Amino acid sequence: MNSVQEILSAFYDSAIFVYGLTLIVVYGVLAVLSIIAIRRYLNATRPSQLENLMSSPLAPGISILAPAYNEGLTIIANVRSLLTLNYPKYEIVLINDGSTDDSLEQLINEFDMVAVDFAYHEKIRSKPVRAIYKSRNQAYSNLLVIDKVNGKSKADAVNAGINAAAFDYFVCTDVDCVLHKDTLLELIKPVMQEGGKRVIAIGATLRIANSSEFDEGVMTRMRPPRALLPRFQEVEYIRSFVLGKMGWSAINCVPNVSGGLGLFDREIVIKSGGYDHKSFGEDMELLTRMCGFCEDNKIPYSVRYIPKTLCWTEGPSSLKVFGRQRTRWARGLAQLMYAHKSIFLRPRYGRLGLVVFPYNFFFELLAPVIEASGIIIYLWLGLTGNVNWPYAILLLIFVYTYAIMISTLSILWDQLSFHYYKSVKEVLSLLIMPFLEFLLYHPLITFYSLKGYLFFLTNRRSSWGNMQRQGFRKAKTTT
Amino acid sequence: METTLSDILQDIRSIYYYAPLAIKVAIIFIIVAVSATVLAYLVMLRSRYRNYRQQRRMARMLPKIDELLMNEIIANPNIPHDVAPSKVALDLEPFDELPLHKRWGREMLTERIIHYRNNVSGTAGDLLRNLYLQLDLDKDAMRKLKSRHWNKKVEALNEFTLMDMPIADVTILPLANSRNRELRAAARQAYIKLSKNEPFKFFDSVTDPLLPWDQVELYRIITTTTDIAIPNFARWITYSSNKSVVSFCMKLVVHYNQLAAVPAIIKLLENRDHTLRAEAIEALGRLKIAEVEDRLVHLYTSQPLFCQIAILKALGRIRSGRHIDFLRNEFLHSTDFDLRKAAARAIVKNEIMAREVIDELLATTTGENLLILKHCMNPLIKY
Repeated sequence: MNSVQEILSAFYDSAIFVYGLTLIVVYGVLAVLSIIAIRRYLNATRPSQLENLMSSPLAPGISILAPAYNEGLTIIANVRSLLTLNYPKYEIVLINDGSTDDSLEQLINEFDMVAVDFAYHEKIRSKPVRAIYKSRNQAYSNLLVIDKVNGKSKADAVNAGINAAAFDYFVCTDVDCVLHKDTLLELIKPVMQEGGKRVIAIGATLRIANSSEFDEGVMTRMRPPRALLPRFQEVEYIRSFVLGKMGWSAINCVPNVSGGLGLFDREIVIKSGGYDHKSFGEDMELLTRMCGFCEDNKIPYSVRYIPKTLCWTEGPSSLKVFGRQRTRWARGLAQLMYAHKSIFLRPRYGRLGLVVFPYNFFFELLAPVIEASGIIIYLWLGLTGNVNWPYAILLLIFVYTYAIMISTLSILWDQLSFHYYKSVKEVLSLLIMPFLEFLLYHPLITFYSLKGYLFFLTNRRSSWGNMQRQGFRKAKTTT
Repeated sequence: METTLSDILQDIRSIYYYAPLAIKVAIIFIIVAVSATVLAYLVMLRSRYRNYRQQRRMARMLPKIDELLMNEIIANPNIPHDVAPSKVALDLEPFDELPLHKRWGREMLTERIIHYRNNVSGTAGDLLRNLYLQLDLDKDAMRKLKSRHWNKKVEALNEFTLMDMPIADVTILPLANSRNRELRAAARQAYIKLSKNEPFKFFDSVTDPLLPWDQVELYRIITTTTDIAIPNFARWITYSSNKSVVSFCMKLVVHYNQLAAVPAIIKLLENRDHTLRAEAIEALGRLKIAEVEDRLVHLYTSQPLFCQIAILKALGRIRSGRHIDFLRNEFLHSTDFDLRKAAARAIVKNEIMAREVIDELLATTTGENLLILKHCMNPLIKY
């Protein structure tokens, strides 16, 4: 028994300490890389550039793909919001994924739509398309509605949209997401600015919309969420996008372009086989396949992120919905690592095989397992009187202060670059979250991740689940 | 016994020295993390305060600046009309009430002058430029141009471009070949806009690719600058070894409908680069050069897919109706969906000459081909 204890103590003293230290150093490096990438972005950004692109005949066309399932409550406002985006050449492809509510009827009536003989060519498999609609009103000539049989996944709906899309680039978003009016101009910029490499995907920062104000689908006042759970998510998003993704973007190692908003190279997506409707993390899975395809075919590629917030989405405010979302994400990660294990540590896959995959495996996939097992062993060693408490507390303070520092730095980068929140009080309400995150939010994430892994290992059937939306706050009208 | 601060420090020191490596590392990281967090708070506070001060200044100054620019320059009835706007001696005394001895005051005024200049033209625009010069606001931009920081240089170049301030070629040309992409692009735009000698000279020497983003800005400057002498772009289409310059020049040829450059574009049909060839085909189609149709049809079978699609689109744009049979054949017998769709669209675009063929195809085709044809004929479907 004593020897087991000694082995465990030695393991956690050495191997896990090195593991933790490596993770901490990686975060430190990401913090430095991200601020470099953000400064570079800001220095290279002038408002006049976007105005020039807006009026240029040289702007490449973009298709916006917005899948919708039973979004009847908000679908008209959401489509109207997409119709107001600034871009000289774009179309909106709305995919009604077999909604059982009156979404389609609303669209037909509101936008004067009729079924057309559309040459739909199935380059990627999806559930059958029932009909395709176009508007008779010239004002909505860039709107296309696909009515298809429900495919039980967003992936299937987006694949149908990719098949019908007219342009070389498409933006994938959720119909309930609110986009910044310059989203398309901002997203296409890295594609047009990159020399030598083919930009296959671009993402941008997403934010939680819960307490922000919107008017006719346009964000009018950005606020941190008032409720605790969405506010934790806001800080998590800032850390993940502004610090994490921007840091990875600086060295062309972005692991994932969020499903909420991303611009993709349509040709590469089609050649990679489109979204996998069986995957629980279809966005990350697609990007992995796209990068793998480029590596296999020796196509020099890059995946970029921009730090500006271009999309607001409603974050789950109930523990039940939140848990379902995080369990699904964790299951998707486990599924992805297993399905693409051949990429892991393979030099032929370049950064994907040697940086992105090992990082995801060791520090994303294994982290909850190591944490949970660490706590159990910690308790056991504590109960058997084998813990040096002063040192244990010191190590705990070390992890705690470092976690606070990383989250605070990400909020700082965000504040220095964009000054999103009006009052100091709002910023302080965010700054307090890193102090609580370690104790309240992080254990939840670990728990749901383990649950997701368990579901993956037991191959448990689970549905996508519908996110019960509460809708956005409407801006106060002034008279 | 009283414990002093030095005793506490001494204790910490002794704990640190006798601690295992892991604990030593942890202590260092704790100190770093706490310091960085405190620093982050201070920087954030400072940034917000500066931002707040800037907002207050703007709220105070902007109405004043706007009033001065409007009353003293744009709508001032006392400005003589018989003197060229650039020669008018402006009354600068009212501008003394602005804090122009401070950099932020000058920057704010410059920004507003540029804003108004973008929104007015003719005499008012020239008067604003005159004011900019008489107040010596250009000196700040000149200082920025000499800065070590590339972003300052870019700011200066943009300011000079917007204010139509001439810069010596010797100053700007080295920047047009800078290693920094942003600076290089800004210098090229400024050169085209401001050079009085040969604004397109850098096309001769540019070796790096003109990125699509840079092309958008150059295209705007070239096509919106009124007093620019447009050269024959065939010169670069023929002789430039830089593919992006050739590609960009073809876009300009299409914009200016420069038929004199067509032979140079036709020569590109023999170019080994597929992308350049496809762009040449597209340009010929947009220019509606009917004489090249036979050549395109002849080339068709030896081309890669995207060049074939470009040929079909070009035949659709030229609309001579001379190759309807070829298009019909491609529509009926091609195995590729995109080719059939491009052929159908080209047939529909040739509708006046191809009416009979369209009727025949509508009557005889079935399945996917019929759907493609109906898709292309439907005015509601743009693409």
